[in-house]
Amino acid sequence: MKVIIHDLGPEYETLIEQKCGQAVAADGKYAPCQGCFGCWTKHPAECFMKDKLNQICRIIGHADELVIVTKNLYGEYSAQVKNILDRSIGTSTPFSTYRDRQMHHTLRYGKHDLWKVIVYGEISEAEKATMLYMAERNAVNDGYERSEVVFLDDLTELEAAL
Amino acid sequence: MKTVFINCSPKKRFCASAYFLFLQSLFVGGKKVNEKLRTPADHSRILEQLKDAKAVVFCLPLYVDGVPSHVLRFMEEMEVYCLENHMELSVYCVANNGFIEGKQNEPLMQVFEHFCAHAGLVWGGGVGIGGGVMLNVTRILFVVDIALLALNTVLSVVNTGMFFNKEAWISFAENAALLLYFNLGVLFYLAGMGRAIGKGTYFGKKYTRILIPSFVFILFADIFFITASVLEGGIFRGWLKKKELEKA
Repeated sequence: MKVIIHDLGPEYETLIEQKCGQAVAADGKYAPCQGCFGCWTKHPAECFMKDKLNQICRIIGHADELVIVTKNLYGEYSAQVKNILDRSIGTSTPFSTYRDRQMHHTLRYGKHDLWKVIVYGEISEAEKATMLYMAERNAVNDGYERSEVVFLDDLTELEAAL
Repeated sequence: MKTVFINCSPKKRFCASAYFLFLQSLFVGGKKVNEKLRTPADHSRILEQLKDAKAVVFCLPLYVDGVPSHVLRFMEEMEVYCLENHMELSVYCVANNGFIEGKQNEPLMQVFEHFCAHAGLVWGGGVGIGGGVMLNVTRILFVVDIALLALNTVLSVVNTGMFFNKEAWISFAENAALLLYFNLGVLFYLAGMGRAIGKGTYFGKKYTRILIPSFVFILFADIFFITASVLEGGIFRGWLKKKELEKA
């Protein structure tokens, strides 16, 4: 299944939904992660906060291909998108292992295929390098075989990039 | 000189960021202000504190290889505030993560560097710490060590009438030395960054970790999570299963 997380407005909803099996709108109408680890230790793959991200790790966990459409923020994801990723650590288990010669958590849903990031908004060359590095790290951390980052000059290029 | 320390952990209490904030503040002179950043309600109060500060130290956990989302929201607001008020502020960062490699904090450090470029602030560098949660536990163990010394001293007075119990003190010293050893890398770099903060100079990006072998760390991390999952009941609720989405 292809999952798209995006911070675009409702005018892009139809396009996004045509391009994936599951769309998640990063509209900011949810709370940030509280760092309690309850999605590992208390109620597996579920957050104690009963908002729209309550079971987000179960959606992301089933993704073969995860596409993240985000506005650039200092070479990071936008705060709304990052909020969703922060709330999704239940895609892994609390057990530790080595991947890519570093410590990571074992994967609840097994290996995935592609972690793809589509970045729009002004971005410097240094921030591009950070975003590439970030996507690479995320892919290893979350058990994706490969990562890809596409930088858009403007959102008219979005459909082709999806 | 005023330095503002911001504890950015979303946890209400007993967070590793508070521990590292405490250690970092030991190595910084002048006026020091501690702030807690958990919700947007904290933003205006912290920004007001930054107005006459020379340096700000962000103490934060690594979330999904980057900056936690609630901190990103604050940084966006801080950028606007700093540009409007033509602030001259040096920004330092103490980041910690649950994995053993401090180097895993590198993307977060880069994000802070880019933030400074946008906000017209001076990037002072940071320390990335691996094994943050376990280092935080060492402070509890130190308190337990002190409590055991006190207990042994009381027992010694009751049983022998002697206040000084040599064996108890040796045991206390051995345990304290071991805990200190685990923290040595962190203390070394935080001391260096403390000097840089005092002088307003660039410290660079340094990475360190709890000083134990990785395989021992992983063993203890697994034991920690098994224990927590038994106590909180997750182990009996499909602990490692591929959970399906429950339709509302």
